[in-house]
Amino acid sequence: MHHYITEGYVLPNQAHIYWTTMIVLYPYITGIVAGAFIISSLHHVFDKDELKPVSRFAMVMAFAFLLFATLPLLNHLGHPERALNIMFTPNVTSAMAGFGFIYSTYLFILAVEIWLVYRTDIVHLYQHTRYPALKPVYWLLALGILDISEEAKRVDRRVMIVLASIGIPAACGLHGYVGFIFGAIKANPWWASPLMPVIFLLSAIVSGVAMVMLCYIVIHWLQRREINGECVHALIETAWYFLIIDVALEMLELINHAYMANEDWTILKQLVTGKLFVSMFIIQILLGSVVPFFVMGYVVVFKQRVPAMVRNLIGVCCGLLLLAQVAAMRWNVVMGGQMFSKSLRGFLNFQVDLYGREGLIAGAVILCLPFVVIFVFSRLLPLWGGVESFPKEWMKETPPVRQPLKGWSKFTS
Amino acid sequence: MRHAGHFVRLLALVAIAVVGFLYVRSLVVPKDFGVKGHYRLSAIEDEAKREARHIGSDACAECHDDIGAAWKAGKHHTPQCENCHGPGLMHTKVVAEEPTTGYPDPILKFNNAIKRPTGIMECKWCHLKTFERPSTLKSISSVREHVESHHGTYTTETLCIDCHNPHTTVVTLPKLAASSKAPVAK
Amino acid sequence: MTSLHSPDDVSRRAFLEAVAKTGGQSFLFGSLFVNTALLRLPQVEAGAKARAESETGKGVIYGFVVDTTKCIGCGSCVRACRAENGVPEGYNRTWVEQYTFYRDGEVFVNSPNGGEDGFAEQLPTRNRPSGDEAPMRGFFVPKLCNHCIDTPCIQVCPVGASFKTDEGVVLVDHERCVGCGYCVQACPFGSRYLNPETGTADKCTWCHHRVVKGLLPACVVSCPAEARIFGNVSDPDSKISRILATNRVQVLKSFLGTRPRTRYIGLDSEVI
Repeated sequence: MHHYITEGYVLPNQAHIYWTTMIVLYPYITGIVAGAFIISSLHHVFDKDELKPVSRFAMVMAFAFLLFATLPLLNHLGHPERALNIMFTPNVTSAMAGFGFIYSTYLFILAVEIWLVYRTDIVHLYQHTRYPALKPVYWLLALGILDISEEAKRVDRRVMIVLASIGIPAACGLHGYVGFIFGAIKANPWWASPLMPVIFLLSAIVSGVAMVMLCYIVIHWLQRREINGECVHALIETAWYFLIIDVALEMLELINHAYMANEDWTILKQLVTGKLFVSMFIIQILLGSVVPFFVMGYVVVFKQRVPAMVRNLIGVCCGLLLLAQVAAMRWNVVMGGQMFSKSLRGFLNFQVDLYGREGLIAGAVILCLPFVVIFVFSRLLPLWGGVESFPKEWMKETPPVRQPLKGWSKFTS
Repeated sequence: MRHAGHFVRLLALVAIAVVGFLYVRSLVVPKDFGVKGHYRLSAIEDEAKREARHIGSDACAECHDDIGAAWKAGKHHTPQCENCHGPGLMHTKVVAEEPTTGYPDPILKFNNAIKRPTGIMECKWCHLKTFERPSTLKSISSVREHVESHHGTYTTETLCIDCHNPHTTVVTLPKLAASSKAPVAK
Repeated sequence: MTSLHSPDDVSRRAFLEAVAKTGGQSFLFGSLFVNTALLRLPQVEAGAKARAESETGKGVIYGFVVDTTKCIGCGSCVRACRAENGVPEGYNRTWVEQYTFYRDGEVFVNSPNGGEDGFAEQLPTRNRPSGDEAPMRGFFVPKLCNHCIDTPCIQVCPVGASFKTDEGVVLVDHERCVGCGYCVQACPFGSRYLNPETGTADKCTWCHHRVVKGLLPACVVSCPAEARIFGNVSDPDSKISRILATNRVQVLKSFLGTRPRTRYIGLDSEVI
């Protein structure tokens, strides 16, 4: 841990930053999880059919990111080998102690939901794959049960409804909880706020939608697949709505600090106008919020009159800007809260590391790992729809395009 | 249930995971955890086991009785021996010729035994004039000024203990006696 | 009922008795009164809890008093603490702050190296841009862990590695601590740090290992000005009890409700 150069009076133990890049990355990753899951639920549960082309991908993306959500935490711990203490002896009064259980419950729900969505395809691929080596893999994924009769599917659907109804609050819980970790720290005036969980959740949704939108367009460009204009429009619309609520709350939080002007505002004002000026006012507010608000607003207002190419370009650019917005917001909260001392009289000149255990490179590697999982997944199971979208040469027999069952159309993607 | 075989297997897997977790937990969590509160009771003993490195001025005086008695009788008896000389535990161990391994700590830097005071730095800690210090405390702005105001010669090697006995506060003027005729006002 | 409008006429006990009576008689006003009475209950409960948990309880409850009017800023306590506890460089279990006030309202706070090397007249912060007039007043404030009764650090520890002993001392279990740093963030006073040598959270223990051997904490022993007083507050004849009985004391950041057991004499409002 570095001993940073300080300005003013910083309490001796606070000349260090204890939570760095990894703790910025952790809420960023869980945010993408929550947002991607909401997108898939908008299709699966709330009948938003325009989002059907990305609903499976969003679910897989949520799962892939969730697999690595613990990695930044483990990398940050002083004793990662003791990490399971959080589940062995959880302290009920600690907000953090819930993490192990909330995380594993949500991971389980998400895994089962994906499993149910893909079960028919898994069984079909087990029976018809051209690669004998993959057969045991599909058999394991099917848990050895190859029953895809209509009755079995009906049971699956019932379970899915139950899981989805648990999954949405669980996704909100997982991310609202991350906000609570910060918002419930009364020792830190920059963090302590009941708005924190809500802001974290909404910015999580924004980042998840942005990531799904960005990946959908870019991967379809790379694979020369046809991009569904309605889907991109719906994604932009969803991102726009959530961005508006998110930014409104973020500004409310800041304005409230300024208007109440408590003892701590003297230093918080210097913080936001000084050390956080670029990451807050330039990246988070101007580039990440104001620009996407107007650009995506143009798409939302003019709908079909927007040329497809322009819409896709806007989707990619705004996706990047929104991801930057949320990354900056995480940075401003996590690092901003540690850049000033609890003496309320001094600042740290924090410099981010490039190398090292908690450096930027380690962070970038962790951010890339979910995409490796998504790639491996895409070789085993189709990302953008049913097994019929898989390359023909991978299977001995292509299944007929499935007809939606009456009354259950939303679950047959 | 005829078409829910895959769920039966799934639930079996979950049950195995939960039972496995509980089994591992029962092995890993210390037996005295949660006996009194949500913590490991023997952690208190672990903390209590640490040795006291500051042995106290009375313990010093057991061997160094001449200095100890003079210190106790003098005006300078509020600062303890170990304030200037450093913690004495290692010193007593070295003197008693006990093995001193297993002390990976900062006092190793004090020559494995005791710190040798500089004879000027330790005095400055208390007696250098600082606005916030109570005016009742005798203090000087700089050593040079102080020495020269008493008609002494200041060199870079000048130490407070040249004139002042830190144990008793008795002032002897070895350098001044040679160079200056004027007695120092007390 | 008049008690509602002229509470001065009736003592609080009488008021509550009246509440109990009328509560049984009148449904409407009764419920109003009972609710009022219920609203008071948490306070009564908190008071009882505080009494049970601090001063007059049986057994040993430790307390710490820092007399800021006596501190001379020599830094002996900081050096003694570092040597006694092997505190790594750049971290402090205790430290001394120097406060200097100027006539124009400017306040300078400083703690070079935690006060370990003492304080001198010339410090970087003294080079004030707005003038060079002499300071108006100044003092030193030693700081250490407050060993709060309602500790935010124990509250947030996810694994139960931070705990309070029966004597009211807040300790860290270095064998269970995962080193997440949440307690470091939760402590409003900056008393905790992550020890880079052990990878665990660390803090002032009021020299628990010395106290169980019948010794005083290293900082208390080494203080030449008697600015630090440690002892058993449940014993009315102890030195600390007598000091607490005859002085007006204050705690740091009382508005956060952590109820510190370290109390200060002569604390200025600028000390936070």
